[in-house]
Parts: sequence; structure tokens; C-alpha cells
Amino acid sequence: MKLLSLFLFLFSLVLCGLSFPVNALDSENAKSWLERLSRALRQLNFSTSFVVVKNNQAEPYHWLHGVNSQNEELEILTRLNGPRKDVLRKGTLVNYRDPDLAEYSVTSKSIIGPIPAIFSGKISELEDNYRFISVGRGRVLDRAAQVIRVVAKDAHRYGYWLWLDQESALLLKMAITTRKGQLLEQVQFTHLDITEKLPDSLVKLQSAELPKEIDLQNKSQNTALSWKINWLPVGFEQVKANRHRIRSNKKAVEFMLFSDGLIDVSVYVNASHHKQRAVEYASYGATLVLNQVVNGNEVSVVGKITPNTAKRIAESIGPASSINSLID
Amino acid sequence: MSESKFETISSLVDNYRASKDDAVTEKTIDEMLKDDDLSSSWQNYHLIGDIMRDEVPSSLQIDVSKQIAQAITQEATILSPNLSALSEKTPEKSETSQVVATRHTISENVVVAQNRFRAKVSKLIKPLGQLAIAASAAGLMIVGVQQNVVNNQLENTVSPSQVFPTMPLAGYANPVSFNYQTKTQQENIQSQKEAAIKQRIAQQRRFQALLTDHQQQVKLVAGESEVETKEKKY
Repeated sequence: MKLLSLFLFLFSLVLCGLSFPVNALDSENAKSWLERLSRALRQLNFSTSFVVVKNNQAEPYHWLHGVNSQNEELEILTRLNGPRKDVLRKGTLVNYRDPDLAEYSVTSKSIIGPIPAIFSGKISELEDNYRFISVGRGRVLDRAAQVIRVVAKDAHRYGYWLWLDQESALLLKMAITTRKGQLLEQVQFTHLDITEKLPDSLVKLQSAELPKEIDLQNKSQNTALSWKINWLPVGFEQVKANRHRIRSNKKAVEFMLFSDGLIDVSVYVNASHHKQRAVEYASYGATLVLNQVVNGNEVSVVGKITPNTAKRIAESIGPASSINSLID
Repeated sequence: MSESKFETISSLVDNYRASKDDAVTEKTIDEMLKDDDLSSSWQNYHLIGDIMRDEVPSSLQIDVSKQIAQAITQEATILSPNLSALSEKTPEKSETSQVVATRHTISENVVVAQNRFRAKVSKLIKPLGQLAIAASAAGLMIVGVQQNVVNNQLENTVSPSQVFPTMPLAGYANPVSFNYQTKTQQENIQSQKEAAIKQRIAQQRRFQALLTDHQQQVKLVAGESEVETKEKKY
């Protein structure tokens, strides 16, 4: 009996001793996988299709990426169902073609689409707020896949699961889940072609002339607002603040945008003709929309955050102090 | 005799049944179809008609009916109600199954006769079944179309989350009704329903507007941050 307990004790010691370095190694390994993904997304020529599943809807996309002889990245992202929505990218010029809006171009290193732009950027920027865990292997799209989790360090954000191709490190599947593991949104790739040459459509794009970027200088200045947020999860920084009108309902709003590198959170404040309205939520995939009216002011929060986080952000709103606004 | 049958076939093909001729009943049609000559001429008449109306498919598949007939004779046993009893395990029925088995081995004729009987039963049942399937399919289509209409209305808006249902889903039918409702209570309920729907639609619009604006702003930011970093560089 004594011998057995001694043995168990020794065994547990061995386990403890082993588990820590393994964990550290695991996260290192996971990070290197994500860095491989980032490189692959920037350097490979690929033609791929994927389906975004949100709530009970599936949206198919076609995605082409390539690098031309001048080392310039070319990219096309097309939504396949419903009204056409295309995004074209030539180097750092991104052209959005949306049926509801006039076509416009902006300068950016990446397309804003269903797949977070940071995955093709600097992964290390995420390290402050997220941990990377290598979970294991699986089979996705008839390929051997490495499963990597991107886990938020606090409870205010959702977690990401990524299935990466063992061979090319390209994305094969992505899932956004709550901390309890409930699935909110999924991106499933349905086809992947990695080629030596540029895909034909990209060759055409190469010779096409994209409209010049719209002038954002006027809008880009952060205007001083009369409202501010007093609480945000750690790691979020204000990206911009302005006053603008919401396109569809012509409401004039005070707008603030925050980002933690992976997710963006928008906060809207505007006067309402209602006096009070209880908190309303809706979620579209992982994106939550919160809306409430307090004392004649409508406050809305939009982003891939938990309802509790959104509620706390909305509740933390208060008048910006006059000193601050003077400095601005 | 057969001449007249050819004639009746011809008239049947033309969708015209001589009302005076009482002899042309289902039975005679059955008999005609059993007769190889007559059934082939039935087919030919149809083909002729198709050619005259210029409705011939690009590739003719004349042999299909025979294949179908073969398939039906093979399938007839499965459709008969007796067969299902065979699989049951009560002693009596296992006996009958044994009997059937022996019949299969010993006298094929009996089985053939049985098959014929079954085929007849299934012939009776089949059209009814097909009718039922067709009717239910039509019903489904109607229901489906109605649902589609509702879905389309909702599709452009943010659908409520399954995670956080904030508004009850009930009471979402019949926004417009032409029924005579004399009772004011009912009208009240109706107007309440309509108000709830209006509220819901307004809510959905709010959500949708916010969502699209959020997405739009994120896209524009991508450009701005780039512009800012450029400015810093210079």
C-alpha cells in the first residue's frame, strides 16, 4: 500500500514536471503555426471557396489570392449568393463593390471580410489579449489539419478555433465559440487549390485599373465627442471617433470604434425621441448588436463580444469632460 | 376485334373516349396494355402524335417502358401487404413464411399467381399512393412558398438570435386579415399583434442599420489607419 502511494506520488511529480514545458512548447508551437498561416495567406497563390454559417444562414464566397512578379499581392473576394459583393485588392489598394453603396477604394494591407485581417498580419499583436493553444489534429476538406485555438485571456471575448492545412498552413475551417464551447459562427472551406501560377482572374485584375482611393483625410480626424466610454475590456484601443449619419435611417450619431487587434467594437450614441427603451439584443453569428435608450439617449454597441461585455460597455457611457474635449 | 381495339387506342391517345362505347373500360385498357402488339402500337401512336406536335425529345428512349414493366413485376412482391407479415416473428406467421418458402421452391406457378394478385393489389394502391404523394407535395409547396415569403421578409433583417431570444416568436402570422371580426376584443388582439409586428420590424431595422454601419466603418478604418501611418512616415 505504501509502495503504491509512493509510486503515485512519484508519478504525479513526473506528470507535473512534464506538463509545464509541454504546455509552453504547445503554445510556442501554436504561435509558429499561426505565423505560418500569416505567411501562407500573404505569399501563396491560391483559389478557394468557403461558406460562412451564421445563425441558420449559409453564405458562400469565392476567394482568390496571388503574388505577381512585382511582388505585389492580388486578391479577389466575391460573395456568391444574392446581390454581388466584390472586394478587389491590388497591393495596398482595396476596392469594395457593394450593391448598396457606390464603389469605393481605400488604402489597406488587407481585405475586411469574414476572415479576420490579423491572420494575415502580425500574429504577435494578439499575444497581449489571447493565448494560442495547439489542440491536436483532424481531417478537414480531405486534408490533414492542425487545430489551433485562439483563446481570449478574459471572459469578455469569444474564442477562435482554426483548422490549418498541415502541408500549406492555409486555413481550412474556422469557428467562433463561447467560452463554454457553444458554436456561434463557422467558416468552412469547401475547395482549395494552391497553384504555382497566378489564377487567371488575378492576371486580369493585374491589368485592370482600380478606382483611386477616396479622400478620407477629412473624415479621419478624430473629432471630440460629447460622450465617452468609461469601461472597456483590457486591450481595446480607440481606433477612431466621429460624427456621421447612419446610411439607412439617416440618424446622426456619435461614433466610436475600438479594436483589440482581432475584433472591432462600435459604440453609437444619439438622441432618441423615445424616453426609455429596455435593452435589446440580437446576434448575427458571433456579432452582437445591443440597443437601448436611457434618458432619451440611444446607445448601441456592435461587435463580436459577449452580451454581458456589450451591456457593461453601454452602461459605462458618460458625458466627456469639458477638459478632455478642450485638449482634443 | 383487334382492329377496333387499335381504333380505340387511337382515340384514347387523342384523349377522346367514345362515350357510346361502353366496352372501353379500365379492364379493357388493362387488357390492351397486356397485349404486346397493342401496347407497342399505343406507344407508336403517342410517338406519332409527339412528332406531329413537334414535341419529340432530342433522344428517343423507346425501350424504357419495358424496363419499367420489368422493374414493376420485380417490385410487386415488395409492395404487397402480405410480405410485411413474413418478417414478423409470431409462430403462425413464421409457419406461413415457411409455407411460402416451400411454395417458392416447389411450385413456382402458385407464386406467380400470388404475384399477380399482389400486382393487382398494388395496382390499385399505387395510383392512390401516387395521388396522395402528389397532393402532399403540392401541399408542401404551398406551405413552403408561404414560409419562403415570410423568410424573405426577414432575410434582409437581422434574425433573432437563438442564443438570446429577446422577443417572443409567437403571434407572427397573418399581419393582414379580411375576416369579419365583430368582436372588439378580437380586433384589439389583432391590432396588438400588428403593433407587436411593427415594433419587431422597427427593431430589426435598427439592428440591421447598426450592423451594416459597423461593417462599413471597419472597412473605412482599414484605410484610415494606413493613411495615418503614412503620414507618420513622412
